[in-house]
Parts: sequence; C-alpha cells; structure tokens
Amino acid sequence: MTRHELATRNLTLRYGRATIIDDLALALPAGQVTAIVGPNGCGKSTLLAGLARLHAPSQGAVLLDGKDIQQLPVRELARRLALLPQEAVAPEGLTVAELVRFGRQPHQGWLRQWSAEDQEVVREALVAADVVELSERTLDTLSGGQRQRAWIAMTIAQQTPLLLLDEPTSALDLGHQIEVFELVRRLAAGGRTVVMVLHDLASACRYADHLLALHSGQLVAAGPPGEVVTTDLVRQLYDIDCTLIPDPATGSLLLANVRRARRCETA
Amino acid sequence: MRCEAPVESQVRQRAAEGRDDGEAGIAAPAGHWRLAWLPPGDAVPCSLLIDRRAFTACLLLLAALMAASLAYLAMGSSGLAPRAVLPALVGRGEMMAVFLVQELRLPRLVAACLTGAAFGVAGCLMQTLARNRLATPGIIGIDNGATAFAVASVVGLGVSLAPPAMALAGAATAAAITFGLAAGGGTRGYRFIIAGIGVGAVFGAITQLLLAKVAIDTANAAYPWTVGSLNARPAGAVTLLAIGLAVGLAAALGLTRSLSLLRFSDAVATTLGIHVARRRWQVLVVSVLLTGLAVAVAGPVGLVGLIGPEIARSLSSPRGVPVVASALAGALVMVLADLAGRVLLAPIEIPVGIVTSVVGGPWLLWILLRPASRNLA
Repeated sequence: MTRHELATRNLTLRYGRATIIDDLALALPAGQVTAIVGPNGCGKSTLLAGLARLHAPSQGAVLLDGKDIQQLPVRELARRLALLPQEAVAPEGLTVAELVRFGRQPHQGWLRQWSAEDQEVVREALVAADVVELSERTLDTLSGGQRQRAWIAMTIAQQTPLLLLDEPTSALDLGHQIEVFELVRRLAAGGRTVVMVLHDLASACRYADHLLALHSGQLVAAGPPGEVVTTDLVRQLYDIDCTLIPDPATGSLLLANVRRARRCETA
Repeated sequence: MRCEAPVESQVRQRAAEGRDDGEAGIAAPAGHWRLAWLPPGDAVPCSLLIDRRAFTACLLLLAALMAASLAYLAMGSSGLAPRAVLPALVGRGEMMAVFLVQELRLPRLVAACLTGAAFGVAGCLMQTLARNRLATPGIIGIDNGATAFAVASVVGLGVSLAPPAMALAGAATAAAITFGLAAGGGTRGYRFIIAGIGVGAVFGAITQLLLAKVAIDTANAAYPWTVGSLNARPAGAVTLLAIGLAVGLAAALGLTRSLSLLRFSDAVATTLGIHVARRRWQVLVVSVLLTGLAVAVAGPVGLVGLIGPEIARSLSSPRGVPVVASALAGALVMVLADLAGRVLLAPIEIPVGIVTSVVGGPWLLWILLRPASRNLA
C-alpha cells in the first residue's frame, strides 16, 4: 500500500519581497486528518496553496512521495491531490451533479469523456457528501453548507488520495460546520489524507489527528492535538489566556475562560 | 491507487460475471447523448458526450443562418424572387440574377459570415478568459488597435504592409498594452476592462488624428475602416480570414475542455489539472488573431463579439463554453445587420458597423441594467 505522504523541505514561500513561509520542514501523516492552525496572517492559506502547487516556492520544495511536485505534470498532480480553495467560483447556472462531474476531469480525455467508472465515482461522491437530493439544483439556490458539501463532493469525485481544504467551515453556522467535519472524518476513515486550514482551535482539537501550529511563517508546534495544545501555545498563537479542559464526552480539548493575555506575559 | 479500489473491483466483478465490459448500464449524464465505441485492439472504450441543448442550439442557429443568407442573396436594391436565388447560385437563370448573386452578393455574404463568426468566437474566448461578459475584444480596445494600424497602412504613413498584417499587429499591440496595464490584476476584474477601454480610446483618437492629417480623398478611402463596413474589402483579406478562422476555430475546439474549466477560479482550474497560465495565453492568442483578421476585412464591428456569444449562451447550456454556437450566432448577427444596412435606407447603404452599434448599444445597456445576480460571471 502506497503511503501518499506530503512533506516540505526547506520550503520558503514569498509574495513579492514579503516572506510568508520561512524555511519550513514538515510531514503530513498519510491517512490522517491534519489541521493547520494559527493567527490571521500567519501563512496558513499560503502554505496550503504551496502544498497544492498554486504558489511556487522561492526556495525548497514540496514533496509528494519524495518527489518534487513542481516536476509533476498538472494532470498527474490533479489525480493525486485535490484542493478546495476559499471562495471557489463556479460558472453560473451549474447544477450540483454537473459540478461534481467536473471532478472527473483529470481522469478524462478527448476520447474518454464518460466511462462506467466516472458514473460510479460521481454517484458515490454524491452519496458520500450527502448531496444526492440536491444533485439537480443549481449552486446559487443552495445554502452555504449545502454548497460547501457540493464542492467537497467534486473533490471526492477527483478520487485523490490527498485532499486539501482551505477553511472549509469558515462561512458556515455550527450545524453546517459539524456536517462538513463529520464528512471529513468519514473521508479519512475511507483512507484519504485530509489537510485543512482551520480558524477554530477547538474544532481542530476535536476533528484532527495531527495539528500544525503556524506563527509568522514558522512552525511552532506539530503533533497530536492532545499533546501539543497547551495554554502556552494558545497564548503564543492568539495572544489570549485560557483554561484547557477535556470534553467530557470525547476527551478532546476545549478552551474555557478565554480572555486577552496580560501585556507583561506576551513577548 | 487505493481509493479507486471499490469502483475498479465492481467493474472487474461485472466483467468477471460475463455481463459486459462495464459498458452496459452507463447512462449519459442528464442532458447529454453518449457515443461509445470500442477501438480495435484496445480494451478501454472510447466515449464522447454531446450536450443536447448545445447541439440543438447549433442546429437552430445554423438553420437561422441559412434562412438569413437566402434573404441576404435575394434582397437588395434590385430584389430577386427567393426561388430564383438557388438556381442563380449555381449559375442558372437570368444572367442578371446570376451576376447579382455570384459576383456581388455572394462574396459579400461570405465576408459577412466569416467576420461575424470570427468576432463571435473571439468575443466568446475573451469573455471566458476574463470571466466577464463585458470583456470582448471590441470593448477592451483590440478592435480599435487593429483599426488604427490598418488605417495607418491605408493612408500610407510610409508603411507598405497589407491591411491584414497591420490589423493583426495593431490587435496584438493593443492586447499587449491592455495586459501590461492590467498587470497584477491579471485578466480578472474591472482593472483589465478599464485599462482596455482606455487603450481603445487612445487608439480611436490616433485613427481620427491620422484621418485629419491626410488629404480628404485619402481620408474618404479610409472612412469605411473607422465605422466598420463590408463594402470595401481589401483583396486577400477574406482568404486570410478564412484560413485564420479555420485554424482559430480548430484551436478553440481543441481548447473547449480547458475553456470550461477556465470559468472556475484559477485555483480550482489548476487543481482540476489544467495549466491555467499556458491555456489562457493560448486562448488570448487565438482571440487576438481572429479579431485582427476580421477587422482587416470589415473594420471595427466589435459589438458582434458581444451580441453573438450572448445569444449563443442563452440558447446553450451552462455546462460548456459555446464556441461553435458563438461562431454561428456571430455570423447570423453580421449577416442580418449588413442586410438591414443594405436594405433599410436603400439606395443609401448604412455601414454594418453603424447598424450593430445601433442595436448593440442598447444591448450593452440592457446587460448592465439586468438584475445583479446575472450581471457578471
């Protein structure tokens, strides 16, 4: 069984002169859910764009199974890695089923436009993301959560071992957030490696197996959330004091008694 | 790959059961016809999807174009009975009718169809590239650039290049300047369109300046260029356009799958496996080429590039980019507009560019004033 492990080596990403990610080395465990957390502007989304080859490294490399992704043909990469960006834009008037079919694009060609496999995979993706009943609706008639599930269905249809999600729950209410997170857990249980950028540390603790904490383009913590999330880390990342308590039902960490950090304690 | 296992095994299982090669039980996605065949010596079946609505739209537009062409050949300062047109086309019937159809109207009809189709495809490509319905070559200044250069060659500024070459050079120059000015913003958003409008205005002014500086007779000779007319067609320009259109249309068809992905945001298109920067560059080159060659024949009739794709899109489905339908709709608009220009105030002829502007101006306003949700892609 191949382990599609995504890793970076001395990765530096810049926008113009501004260095966003500085000399970063990390490895994403295969078959697990990794959450990337950090304050606004820490470089989370840029890192994700770098991992998906949307942002070329100034130095270093992103490695997929040990190979530099810059060397891979785009189609080949699209069969191995899917990304759902923030604020994804789709053409007007597309239905959910039509959107999901676009996920088959990297597997199709001019003379192979619709196969038995395409049909089956699209059907499975619609079921997995729970959008079967919505499949003939156009995207603009859906709620935010439904639309997000439709987009995730498209990335599922892409059948990639690796799935990157950029703040998949940022515009969703609590109910819709849980829908998306539970879908992510099901995908990981099905053998996919999921990497998501998250704003909410508690959700990251609850739904991720592996946590990467970024601050000013540097990795400040990496590991299982239960081991790496401490009050010190929370203060370093978000400049807040809190008490960490385990969720009585699941044991994942919750942030309680959250308040702004006292000035003298922040360096 | 592990994730593919369930489906592969199902297909294999079906095959093992001797039921089929995985072909039976495939339903074409809603709104499509699926053509499948097994190439000899290959285990993987080939399949094509045909979008029913897009296909019907093309047939409809083709029928309308045929009807309009017939009317075009029949009507004019001296009218012909519609049933006399077809015999005249193949050289039978009255000599006058044969002369009218074969020598006068047919070449002009061909020019109208070719320029209309070229403007239509160029507009459709540019709109897709910029993901904005306003971003047609006519609006972002490419037409004006081509015209200014062509007029420069007509009024003879010591440049001996033929109008098509000059128009192409002008189209390329205007496109380069627009892209240069919009740098950073890319082809997306208003910066690109506003830069294009500015570039177009400058080239429009240059054209006027050129005409103001030369003798009145020379200016008159160049006049059709400034409004857009099928009356004076430079020799050879139509042949060049026909070749360019064949190449451009083939290239655009080859790019259709990429084109439908270019309508998504760049990040989505890239992760679905297309080389966005490279594809956009190719689409731009085809669009500029078609615009330049069409302007060399008819002058700046760029609003056809706005109206044609708009008609094509409203008839086709949102699943794909209507390249062929845009060509047909562009040709239809051009034929009808030139017919109206020839007939309405006969014996005075209204240049086709003026007809399209009279129709296209209100059309543009209508696009702007439509409900916001359908305003921009």
